[in-house]
Amino acid sequence: MRKVMFYLPLALFLALALFLLSGLFSDPRERDSASLNKPLPEFALADLMQPEKIWTPAELKGETFLLNVWGTWCPTCNAELGYLTELRAQGVKIVGLYYELPRDPAFDAPFNLATLQAEVQQKLEQQGNPYQFNMLDLTRSVSLDLGVSGAPETFIIDRSGIVRAHHIGDINPQVWRSKLAPLYQEWLNK
Amino acid sequence: MKTIILAICLFSAALLAQEVLPFADDQQRQLYQELTAELRCPQCQNQNIADSNAIVAVDMRQKTYELVQQGKSRQQVLDYMINRYGDFVHYQPPVNRFTVWLWLLPALMLLGLLIVGLLRRRQQTKIEATASMQLNETELDQLIDRYRSKKP
Repeated sequence: MRKVMFYLPLALFLALALFLLSGLFSDPRERDSASLNKPLPEFALADLMQPEKIWTPAELKGETFLLNVWGTWCPTCNAELGYLTELRAQGVKIVGLYYELPRDPAFDAPFNLATLQAEVQQKLEQQGNPYQFNMLDLTRSVSLDLGVSGAPETFIIDRSGIVRAHHIGDINPQVWRSKLAPLYQEWLNK
Repeated sequence: MKTIILAICLFSAALLAQEVLPFADDQQRQLYQELTAELRCPQCQNQNIADSNAIVAVDMRQKTYELVQQGKSRQQVLDYMINRYGDFVHYQPPVNRFTVWLWLLPALMLLGLLIVGLLRRRQQTKIEATASMQLNETELDQLIDRYRSKKP
């Protein structure tokens, strides 16, 4: 009993130190997403390049794909375009959800679709175009419904339109191989 | 004079910096202020959405405002956000089997401390008691006798 009491503080200290040490290597952005295993929220979004085309969740069913939230204003999104283009070449279907910035009426020019289209066109020509098409989320309401906290974020949507993975941050070869590729393969083959 | 100009500059800036949102009544205004103080920004993780200027916090404030305007209750707005961003988004986490330790652990530590304190006190009094018992007079006399007899 005496011996136990003697070593107890050391044991407690070691347990606390281990707990805090594990915290050093964990990613605070990594958290359970609330949109997992739920169907895509209801939406009707215009195609970025052909605004007369309206996309709805029903039209996205039938094939497992990546839904990539991005914007030309976001440096990390631009950095991952190259690798995503490689993935497209390997046969991965990627759909873009364009996350437009809010505008301050006092400082910013009003939204202009033609300017945005030119900007996107130029960016995709420079960095590579991984997208089958882009949907324009002008008010970010669909992004809010999906639980998007910023760009870039990527979802894996299965063939019946259910969210199967939610990744916050960029996609690079390491993230793809260790985290997303296994999930993508799993839902592709189901 | 200088102080007056300074004061005018400072206060007018403060007034301009305020977001002006019209509310039907004070109750709704208060609800909005409570909610934006209690909801956590998913992007800048240690700020509430009232403090943060991240895009997502601006959008969440706007949505909160809309929902409050529609006459939604406090719980309905919270559910709306938790549905999209998880329990993470509310600064008052629900009690479940993972979070219950936040409440239990301090109580357990206090209990442990009390038990250790009581045990130590009991041990202390036991030592004192045995010490005083040993010092009865006959034993003392015997000790003195023995000591004396050894002397030449």
